[in-house]
Amino acid sequence: MNDERTFDHRPDPELGAALRRALDSVDPPRDDQAAFVARVMARYDGALADATVPTWEVLAAWSRRGIVLAAAAAVIGGVLLGRALQTPEPQATLDAALTPIALINATDPPDASVVFASLVEQR
Amino acid sequence: MPPDSPAQPPQGAARIAGEAELVAQTLAGERAAFGVLVERYAPQARRVARAVLGDPDEADDAAQDGFLSALVKLGQFDARRPFGPWLMRIVANAATDRRRRRQVRRVELLDPGLVGGGPRPDTEAVRSELGEHLRAALAELPPRRRTAVVLFDVEGYSHAEIAEMLGIPEGTVRSEVFHARRRLRALLADWKGA
Repeated sequence: MNDERTFDHRPDPELGAALRRALDSVDPPRDDQAAFVARVMARYDGALADATVPTWEVLAAWSRRGIVLAAAAAVIGGVLLGRALQTPEPQATLDAALTPIALINATDPPDASVVFASLVEQR
Repeated sequence: MPPDSPAQPPQGAARIAGEAELVAQTLAGERAAFGVLVERYAPQARRVARAVLGDPDEADDAAQDGFLSALVKLGQFDARRPFGPWLMRIVANAATDRRRRRQVRRVELLDPGLVGGGPRPDTEAVRSELGEHLRAALAELPPRRRTAVVLFDVEGYSHAEIAEMLGIPEGTVRSEVFHARRRLRALLADWKGA
């Protein structure tokens, strides 16, 4: 074996062989490699099946998500539409709303007190 | 680094190419190709799992978990790189996960007869006696240290490969191997001198 005080970058054949024997010769003996291989291969299909998600499940997951999103969009759209229908039409113009017809049709300049009175009446 | 098996695989680039072909065949649905890989790496995977876990039965469970996990992840394998380190990383992780899940003290993973240090009454061969001492000594090492020394001295992986497998710096691997060797060599020396 190599000197333990210096680090050797190569594997130690003697120690490696001893460890290999120690790990291979467990009690009870486990030299049944063929049985182990068979055991692994017996789970071959199961492992692949467990790991594979069927396509329809993926689609189902997506459709579930789509249904939720569509429902949420419908609710939001309905609320917005309802608000739009309940909102009254705006007045034609501010001037038209505030100015009495008599003042618009008059040929002479209006008296200040009449204009003031008409504005007070509007409120 | 070749795995051990009755039929040794080719070395170097040829081995990488051959194993890449086996991986490709497995991905194409050829079950037998994966069987070849399992047969080739089973001894190595079982030893690595034993190094992590100690208990042979649990180690076999972990090795099996590792192979099946590798099968599921096979599409992620980079075929330009060697298959062994990639697989051993998965096996070591499977064993480590299993050890963490159990949350038991290290000594409980072992045959109580081995922890005592002395040879058991039914010990017959000198080699098996040494094996028992070595297993006991391995069990006394921290899990990462014993895994590192097994991967290096038994399986022949490089420090860089082990660092990638265990997810630790290469310098840490060197340190772990150094300390593990010092302990194991001391035990071997004592055993030889006795």
